[in-house]
Amino acid sequence: MITFTPTGVDGIDDILHGGLPAGSSIILEGAPGTGKTTLGVQFLHHGATRLGEAGIYVTFEEFPQQIYKVMLGFGWDLKKLEGDGLLRVVSVRPDVLFHEMKKPGGLFEQLIGEIGAKRVVVDTISLFHYLYKDRAEAREAFYTLCNVFRKHGLTALLLSEQTADNTDRSTFEHYVADGVIRLSMSRHMETFRKRTLEITKMRGVDFTEGEHIFRIMKDGIHLVPALTMVEDGVIMDKDKVPTGIPELDGLLAGGIPRGSSMILDTNSKANYKYITASILAGRIRAGERIVVVSSHAMTVAEQHHLLRQFGIDTLEVARRKGVYFIEHYDRTIPPELEDCVINVKDVRNEDYYPYVNEKLQPVVQESIARGEKWFVYQDLSVLYTQRGADFVKHYYSRDSAMIRAMGMTALSLCNFTEIGPENASYLERATQTVVRTWVDRNYQYLQVTKSATGKVSAPMIVETVPVEPFIRLV
Amino acid sequence: MERSLMMLQVECTYFFEENPFALETLESLATRLGRSVDDLIPVLDRLVELTVLTRIGSGDQSVYRYNRPVTVYRNLRA
Repeated sequence: MITFTPTGVDGIDDILHGGLPAGSSIILEGAPGTGKTTLGVQFLHHGATRLGEAGIYVTFEEFPQQIYKVMLGFGWDLKKLEGDGLLRVVSVRPDVLFHEMKKPGGLFEQLIGEIGAKRVVVDTISLFHYLYKDRAEAREAFYTLCNVFRKHGLTALLLSEQTADNTDRSTFEHYVADGVIRLSMSRHMETFRKRTLEITKMRGVDFTEGEHIFRIMKDGIHLVPALTMVEDGVIMDKDKVPTGIPELDGLLAGGIPRGSSMILDTNSKANYKYITASILAGRIRAGERIVVVSSHAMTVAEQHHLLRQFGIDTLEVARRKGVYFIEHYDRTIPPELEDCVINVKDVRNEDYYPYVNEKLQPVVQESIARGEKWFVYQDLSVLYTQRGADFVKHYYSRDSAMIRAMGMTALSLCNFTEIGPENASYLERATQTVVRTWVDRNYQYLQVTKSATGKVSAPMIVETVPVEPFIRLV
Repeated sequence: MERSLMMLQVECTYFFEENPFALETLESLATRLGRSVDDLIPVLDRLVELTVLTRIGSGDQSVYRYNRPVTVYRNLRA
């Protein structure tokens, strides 16, 4: 079983899901000034002060006294830690270190033994390139270095200078090391610079991909994870309406907050029907009653067939008045469902609300008074094409307010690209949860771009599976 | 002892006091201090003699390591 060595750096342990794999040798690379030394020392300081794990900082070029002085600025008294037998800041030439490491009972083994070191930072392995001009020899030396650390059970951070020569290429160290963490600094909003950290390799363990912004604060490095990935388990929360898709429920911390609205933004190629059907089926199974503003792409009959794949008999639900369809077109309706369909094709915009209310309000109010719950699913694109943008703006804000007031939960389908940025922006502001799904080349993706918890997710691949809910997010 | 050598001895001692876990060869120390190897040889010999430093190994690859006062004191008591 893999155990983890926490780095103690806010955010980094989150994206590493616990820390660095214990006993691993990790390259920490970046251009000068990106924060490698600070991160390396913070790693040792945390181990020493919080976990009682002693560490060794090996510097080939910098004087230890410079490091003591600079790190005092973060409140890290390294000399005190040395006095307490929890740290050694060792300056040594790379060839001497290497020689001593290989010697039985050599200085390196003595150092480890003196303090029982568990962590080591080497600043910087780039100097090995000067030491060994021959590539094979350099690779062998680096391999030996990692093996010695592994033999002594040390978790190692190996600092590496990134230069114009090696920015885009993987050096042999990348193949030999157990992991690679890259620090970068780039221009941000014309006059600012942003520091980012990216894990490009971490052998045998899961980590959160992407570039994560970090700041060097007065007490060390603080990283803000860029994206939130799926929770390990689905959170069951009675105040949430689960989507029935475990990964999506994980991203939404349990589901759509009850009494709020969610927009599913799709492009024309994306298959959203299993997402919506999974949510509707879940609501029907939970005994809730639903209102469906039918999509132009899916008739009442097609909706019925789709729900049947989820084991839902819409005819039976209709018999107990558990479902209502609002239909904008003249399309064939299964006879058994006719009583549940409110056709608004010929209803003018100004009459739409009074007409729908007249049909639904008494039923809904009486039902809510009995403690029943309602769920609304609507295709906003239909309302845009049939009734125009102004109607939707008015309708959506009014509808959202009413839904919230009555404790109902709503799912709206929309194509943001089709309705234009201004309208999309309005809808985004007015809704609590936004999930986007789109097709790019040969894959469909899904991403939570707005959620009640304030978190957004990474774009996840939508994979088709043969069992309900027929899709999963990877 | 010549005054210049005395000054160099103080400089070396100060370096090791400030960097107590430095592991230096004659050459690396010369680079760090910006001094010549020839000038450092008698100084390091003297510091080893005074137990301020320990010399590990022999020849060019000898490593000089500082004996922290606390360590010297502990060794004397033992």
